[in-house]
Amino acid sequence: MTKELEHKFVVDLEKNQNIVHKVCRIYTNNQDAHNDLFQEISIQLWKAYPKFRGEAKFSTWMYRVALNTAITLYRKSKRAVKTQDFDSVLYKIESSVYDDTEEEQLKILYKTIHHLSDIEKALVFLYLEDKNYKEIAETMGITEVNARVKMSRVKNKLKEILNP
Amino acid sequence: MDQLELLKKDWKKQESTLPKLSKEELSKLMYRKSSSIVKWIFIISVLEFVIPNLIILITGSKSTEQIYEDLGLSNFMTIFLIVSYLIIFGFILLFYKNYRSISANANPKVLMQNIIKTRRTVKYYIWFNLAALAIVSIVVLNRTFDSNEFLEKIPEGTNMLVIWLISLLLVAVAVAILWLFYRLIYGIFLNRLKRNYNELISNGID
Repeated sequence: MTKELEHKFVVDLEKNQNIVHKVCRIYTNNQDAHNDLFQEISIQLWKAYPKFRGEAKFSTWMYRVALNTAITLYRKSKRAVKTQDFDSVLYKIESSVYDDTEEEQLKILYKTIHHLSDIEKALVFLYLEDKNYKEIAETMGITEVNARVKMSRVKNKLKEILNP
Repeated sequence: MDQLELLKKDWKKQESTLPKLSKEELSKLMYRKSSSIVKWIFIISVLEFVIPNLIILITGSKSTEQIYEDLGLSNFMTIFLIVSYLIIFGFILLFYKNYRSISANANPKVLMQNIIKTRRTVKYYIWFNLAALAIVSIVVLNRTFDSNEFLEKIPEGTNMLVIWLISLLLVAVAVAILWLFYRLIYGIFLNRLKRNYNELISNGID
């Protein structure tokens, strides 16, 4: 039974691992920290999996557990905290595709995101994932109005930093 | 193009650059050691239950029982211990119930609420311990200072008020040190959680 469950979980996780990687990209700024958080989210997903009854889509459930882990459950290792190397966000950008100004703008954008609070990062992440306010509210456990207000605040904050 | 739209476009493009782990690699990850905050909260909470009781067990030897008897406090201490253990048992039940409710399946708001609730129960338990420590100390001091044995030992004309003040000060210092110790543990684990929780629930119209 456990083996069966384990196999089913690994298949689901492999299919949807992009979600976890993307959460790691928002919350970490180097490869070591990314791997650490990815590992912790996988552990938390596996722990919570027996209670997942398919009441939501697997991916929706995954967003929730991954964000829970990044915001609340995960305790950053010393290594991850020390490495405040914000230039390393570069590793996330595939160069050559963009012209200089776009690339420069993106670099600043990613840098700015890494300075946001845990909650703001979650909001930006859900925005980038094209979630509507209803989904954002459900994922985070807040009201739709609250989600709307918070989202417009984060967007304004980003814009203000980019266009002083 | 709007900068945020530019970001969104880039975000979608990045999908292709994301790492791809194989099923074998993923199944290895599942059983690694977790560094979850809940595990630490649980370990510390258990220690908070065990250590005070261990101290009572170790120090509560035959000789202290004799001291209570000499002071005529046997009945008081028996009732006090029975009541304490009933309350502690109630706390353990509550604590277990709260701990069970912590699940990553809940949304972030509910998860944070549950952790805070669990910690609040432990906090009440700590307040109970501190109060018990203070009450027992004061009762024992009161009886000791009234006993003939004590009164014979101190020089005549000693101001009892001074003795009381010094003793109470020592009790207060002991309670304060314990309290500071607990605050420190809270600070380490709960600061980030509380900050995030407050940010999440604030309605943004402030």
